[in-house]
Amino acid sequence: MKKFNANHIRKVILDMAYSGATVHIGCAFSIVELLAVLYRKHLQLDPRNPAMPTRDYMVLSKGHGVMAQYACLHELGWLTDDDILQYFKNGTRLKGLADAHVPGVEATAGSLGHGLSVAAGLALAAKLNKTNQTCYVLVGDGELNEGANWEAALFATHFKLDNLVVIVDKNGFQAMGATDDVIVLGNIEEKFRAFGFEAVTIDGHDEAAIDAAYNNMKTARNGRPKAIVATSVKGKGVSFMEHNNIWHYTRLTSETYAAAITELGYTA
Amino acid sequence: MRNAFSDALVAAALADPKVLLLTGDHGYALFDAFRKARPEQYINCGIAEQNMVGVAAGLAKAGFKPIVYGLAAFVPVRVLEQIKIDVCYENLPVILIGDGAGLVYSHLGISHQCTEDIACTRAIPALTVLSPADRFEMTATMQLALQLASPVYLRVGKSDRGDVHPGPVQLQAGEMLQLRKSTQRIALLATGSMVRMALDLIAQGLEAEVWSVPSIKPIGRQQLAEVASRVDCVITLEEHSVMGGLGACVAEEVAAHRPLPVCRIGIEDRFSAYCGTWDYLLQEHRLDLPSIKHRIECFLSWLPAKTVGIHNGL
Repeated sequence: MKKFNANHIRKVILDMAYSGATVHIGCAFSIVELLAVLYRKHLQLDPRNPAMPTRDYMVLSKGHGVMAQYACLHELGWLTDDDILQYFKNGTRLKGLADAHVPGVEATAGSLGHGLSVAAGLALAAKLNKTNQTCYVLVGDGELNEGANWEAALFATHFKLDNLVVIVDKNGFQAMGATDDVIVLGNIEEKFRAFGFEAVTIDGHDEAAIDAAYNNMKTARNGRPKAIVATSVKGKGVSFMEHNNIWHYTRLTSETYAAAITELGYTA
Repeated sequence: MRNAFSDALVAAALADPKVLLLTGDHGYALFDAFRKARPEQYINCGIAEQNMVGVAAGLAKAGFKPIVYGLAAFVPVRVLEQIKIDVCYENLPVILIGDGAGLVYSHLGISHQCTEDIACTRAIPALTVLSPADRFEMTATMQLALQLASPVYLRVGKSDRGDVHPGPVQLQAGEMLQLRKSTQRIALLATGSMVRMALDLIAQGLEAEVWSVPSIKPIGRQQLAEVASRVDCVITLEEHSVMGGLGACVAEEVAAHRPLPVCRIGIEDRFSAYCGTWDYLLQEHRLDLPSIKHRIECFLSWLPAKTVGIHNGL
């Protein structure tokens, strides 16, 4: 099986969500391919040392998608089987939102609008240290309601952080409904371009397109920060979850867990 | 005091290229020497304090030692969540400077006045809170902050009231500095601009031992216990709300270890109503010398005679 297989990542997410009786499944499913391609082919990491000083950074700013990242960190060997199987049990270390005390998680997020600034700081540090590190930060589209993101966007352009790649998970939903109904975002690609970024929109589930976008963006050291707007499907991969925003909040039952696992080609 | 601050910044940057000064577009003349000495270590982040603190956290994660400068109303108060989540949860070596704390911006109104910052910051785990009273304490608190390699909030208030120490001081985290001894069983504990006021009270005849408290968190627990064991009452003075500030710290400690009457003198639970000079606003808040004297007299007169069996000079 291909490393960081999307179906497998979704299965791990379902296993965690079911055993932990937790939510945010749809939020994790929309970023699976984005993270899978990043961990498979792009992030320069030391498998034995999550804190290697010259690593590429992956900042998950939409911290509620963290189960997708846990699945990748598990595959890297930085999280144990027990971490996954005991998710949400008393005394365990993996929380429902991104937490920087977990190896491989660069920022504490979930309160939204933090990650892009931290990522800008990491990218600036790489510039000052004259290293070739790339700093990726994954934000949600709804998260772009937070004004601090736009402070960070101004900063990234001013300081020519061309090693900063912002990935926008544009699944079109936020907690209480469609992004267009809650707070209209307009054209996100154009907004980032207006802030001085090099920007592109891709299909957030097309692994070849994602791979090409990462390649283009990380190699273009042209003085401009980068934005990849990934159009995605909230709940992608399981038919009854796709485009259905209740899977922001809904917990799995034995029936829905079995049905979802079966759709992914596994047996419950 | 501001020269001491500038000198400390320049010295820190010259000694360590990993020291970076981040400002939210404030500190115009204050940073002239720094920008001349180490322009590459100076970063103006623009009027965007939330981002500035997040950037500082990222820089610190990658091995830099950011010093983040803003007005206290903005750093730390506006960006409390970034300080908590981005900086303190990871125990990153970020020094946050909040300038103009208290009523310094007396003419500009309450947006720039800051009398809640100690209360906000001292409840955040991992964060050290320092509050220097004069140029010597400024130098010592900056040295301490740089040595700690953990998050520090350094509160800079009214800075032109003169020295309270005769010369340089050494300071450890959680250390109180005694300025006057007394045979009277009263302790006067002050921080920031109010340390000068405490000495002025002594000059006007109050008989009490006087301490400067530049380390609000950690508070000098052992020293406080010793003081509390030999006095009959404690009076605190601060240019900060009486809720959650120095007085609250002292009252909490004293209540836990040797219950005593504690008189907390500071800003009561209200905003400034009027425009005027710093001295004018001190009067408005009853923090000028005559008002404080009156408040202390009232406090002492309310105490049972057996609690404070003394004739005080006031």
